[in-house]
Amino acid sequence: MDREASIVSDLSCWATMAVFAIGLIVLAVHLKEVQVVASPDYNYEKARQSVRRVQTAGMRGRILDRRGRVLADNRRCVSIVCNAAAYQKRSWDATTEAITEAIRQIGRVIGRDTHLTERSIRRHVNQSLAIPLVAWRDLTDEELARFAERERLYPGFSIVESEERHYPFGSLASHLIGYVGRDRGSGDAGDEKFNFRDFELYGRSGLELYYNGFLRGVPGERKLLVDARGFTEREWVVSEPRRGPDLMLSVDADIQRVAEAQLKGVRGACVVMDPRDGSVLAFASSPSYNLNDFVPTLSQEVYDRYLNDPAKPLLNRASGGTYAPGSTFKPITALAGLSMGYPDNEQYDCTGAFELGNMKLHCARRWGHGPISVRTALKVSCNTFFCNLGCDVGTNAVISAAKAFGLGSKTGIDFTDDRAGIVPDDEWKRKTYGERWYPGDLAQMSIGQGMLLASPLQMAVVAGAIGTGYVVTPHLKAGAEVVRRPLPFDEHSLAVVREGMRQVVEGGSGERGGDGVEVSVAGKTGTAEFGPMSNRRKNTWFIAYAPADRPRAAVALIVEDGESGGGTAAPRVAEILKRMFNAR
Amino acid sequence: MLDKLRRFNWIMFAAMIALIVTGTVAIWSAGNARAEAIFHGMWLANLWTAIAGLVIYFMFAFTDYRKLIAWTATPAYAVSLVLLVAVLIFGAKVYGGRRWLWFFQPSEIAKLGVICLLAKLFGGEPRRTFRWFMVGCALIAVPVGLILLEPDLGTALTLIPATLLMLFVARVWRRGLVTLLAAGGILAFAVLGAVYEAEKPGVTEARRTAILKWVPLKPHQVKRVRVFIFPDEDLTGAGYNLRQAKISIGSGGLSGTGIGKGQSNHLKYLPPAISMNDFIFCVYAEETGFIGSLLLLGLFGALLLPGAWIAVMAVDGSGRLIALGVSTLIFAHVWINIAMSIGLVPITGLPLPFISSGRTFLVVVMAGLGLIQSVSIHGRDKTT
Repeated sequence: MDREASIVSDLSCWATMAVFAIGLIVLAVHLKEVQVVASPDYNYEKARQSVRRVQTAGMRGRILDRRGRVLADNRRCVSIVCNAAAYQKRSWDATTEAITEAIRQIGRVIGRDTHLTERSIRRHVNQSLAIPLVAWRDLTDEELARFAERERLYPGFSIVESEERHYPFGSLASHLIGYVGRDRGSGDAGDEKFNFRDFELYGRSGLELYYNGFLRGVPGERKLLVDARGFTEREWVVSEPRRGPDLMLSVDADIQRVAEAQLKGVRGACVVMDPRDGSVLAFASSPSYNLNDFVPTLSQEVYDRYLNDPAKPLLNRASGGTYAPGSTFKPITALAGLSMGYPDNEQYDCTGAFELGNMKLHCARRWGHGPISVRTALKVSCNTFFCNLGCDVGTNAVISAAKAFGLGSKTGIDFTDDRAGIVPDDEWKRKTYGERWYPGDLAQMSIGQGMLLASPLQMAVVAGAIGTGYVVTPHLKAGAEVVRRPLPFDEHSLAVVREGMRQVVEGGSGERGGDGVEVSVAGKTGTAEFGPMSNRRKNTWFIAYAPADRPRAAVALIVEDGESGGGTAAPRVAEILKRMFNAR
Repeated sequence: MLDKLRRFNWIMFAAMIALIVTGTVAIWSAGNARAEAIFHGMWLANLWTAIAGLVIYFMFAFTDYRKLIAWTATPAYAVSLVLLVAVLIFGAKVYGGRRWLWFFQPSEIAKLGVICLLAKLFGGEPRRTFRWFMVGCALIAVPVGLILLEPDLGTALTLIPATLLMLFVARVWRRGLVTLLAAGGILAFAVLGAVYEAEKPGVTEARRTAILKWVPLKPHQVKRVRVFIFPDEDLTGAGYNLRQAKISIGSGGLSGTGIGKGQSNHLKYLPPAISMNDFIFCVYAEETGFIGSLLLLGLFGALLLPGAWIAVMAVDGSGRLIALGVSTLIFAHVWINIAMSIGLVPITGLPLPFISSGRTFLVVVMAGLGLIQSVSIHGRDKTT
């Protein structure tokens, strides 16, 4: 047969071959587009759907006192977690049931029920399948041993270690240290989003809150490879979490303990500070609470108990509570007068009360001190003298003296609570009470009563400033920069006031403030009255600095509902000073 | 015998063996990603099937195709039709279609049956009349219609170009064929346009329903056309498979993730139900990258171009028709399968020859290639 006679022409065959070749080349060109040119896009898409980023919590730094004693520590905490991938079933419901059943069985083995409910397990399966589900937290050694025996029977369940906050001294410095809560960390790791964040300890109050960013450390990162249903196939660590640095405080645990012991059973507060550099040595508020109650989380029951306690143990009185300073304000009035040129030997006649219009302010001594000068007036805490002095020098002088000591504004301490208190003036009174400023208000303020309010921390700063001549910014972190400004009073005026305050302790109203203390103490008592006349109550103060000539300690202590500054507060301060200065 | 071996096309044979090996590896990788143990051994089953296929291959290759089609083409076609009817009645329903009869798919066997019968009828005397045109179209339309009833659009779509090409090169009333093709093309464009109008953003539900009423497609087919037109929509629903297919292929990059290390496959982003069959190219392309894709296209080229070359060398019409028909059938499978995986054509279910795990199809393709080898051996001018 002749080839050309075939019904199918050569051209048809060649054309078909050409179609094959062109068809395959077209595919190759498009595949190059997908696999080479657009490959990075598809790789990104692949990672986006199959890789989950998990932020792992950084371990929290400890909090130490000035001598390195640990006030807030971390302890090992063992948990049992479930990796859902080992229990994957056809339906989500079946998966949830399988996990729930396994958890029930393990609960019987270790003898403790899980905190998880079926609903929370279901939520985990629906929302965070890729990460382990914590079924039991903080196992005892016994529970751990029971689980370890049967661990092989429950694939997917494993033990993980984490850290839990622990406070070795329980309630010591509780208001100062503050407590932590659990939180999914906040998103401050750059622009990229994390899919999951581990629970992290997060400061909720006190130094734990103020220094949270310092203590929390650097979070780490894990990546999970998840399959199409969301189960984790594989995981790897991108960066390990790093422990936060330890926070060393200026606080001395020994002094703190003495200060708290002096406040035991009463409501009150005490701040001890080194007036030279502002280091806070003790920062106590009473009553206090046990910090370990807040670990791992505060139970509603305990929280209610704290919240409903009329003594308000959660209130930090040392810097977050403000009180009328009472007679402890008198040195400031004295300085206002003396620096305005009032002679230190000029006398007022105390008849037992100061009268202005229809107002009558009684002196502590009902029958009067007779003619009295400024040193003695401080020593015996004569109300009449200071009312007269204040009215003579005028409102502005007293207010600016108070403000020179930092009253009415925040101290600048590195702490969450830093109440400014109140130094009232005409403008403030009009705004607050809609009334103008009367001379009677000035007389009240001159003896630390009326609308004047200050925190114990502020009064410790005042005591130290009188002793050193400098108002210092208090601080809690050891080695913080010293910030201080000189008082705007001449040296003579200061010397007169210091002398008066020495006499307070040497046979004056606060003579028990130096009882048994081996260095000289200067101080001032205060008994601020408040409440209705029928049920008059007294907040009793003592502020002091010691040694009187070169002060190394400034103290302010208040006891709510006390008898008198000299009788209630002064002896407690003496105990603290004894611990600090007496040779043991 | 030596003469026969000389005429045996070794390039084509080598390409086929290489494709069988490649396919076995791809099936091994895709099967390992499945949880069910039965799929782990699928590569071995594929290998055994290929060996059985080789027996048929050599039987066909060393039998003169003229005798073969003279005796068997008509009965084979008839049996195919019977099986196609049987599968509609007795077939097991898998993934919404009746395609399986016992252990094989009749539609695959029908492909070869139709090609052989067309080669027998149109390879000799010229049959340019309208009457023969109608006969040819009917011979194609009956099995295609039965296959569409299963439904198995993919198989029908590969059979139509292969058989129409056979009629065309056999000069059967070309004006009619061209008209038919033009009508088909216009219909395809009309369907695409209608689906676009119905599914484009902002079309009211009433208008959408009104347009789709005129489109001769089932709802799931409309969805596939929609995914083809708007590949970036409904990524978790209808568009999911295509998107995952593209991610899988695209993320392979130049050199791939390594054999057995494909992530889309192992993490089941590519639905396991299709990763061993219609979408196995995605598994292969992710693991071997663009280099692997080129290699595979090269192997198909080494398989198909000699097929057309054998047609050139064959002296009689039926030999040429067999060589071109079988080659075009395989080419249609390869092209549509890979093109749909990267979104060049709408998704439709059909296997990739040698690579997909489909045993009936493997045997049929090898039998078809055996026929081409027979043309190579027996169809040449004895002087060459």
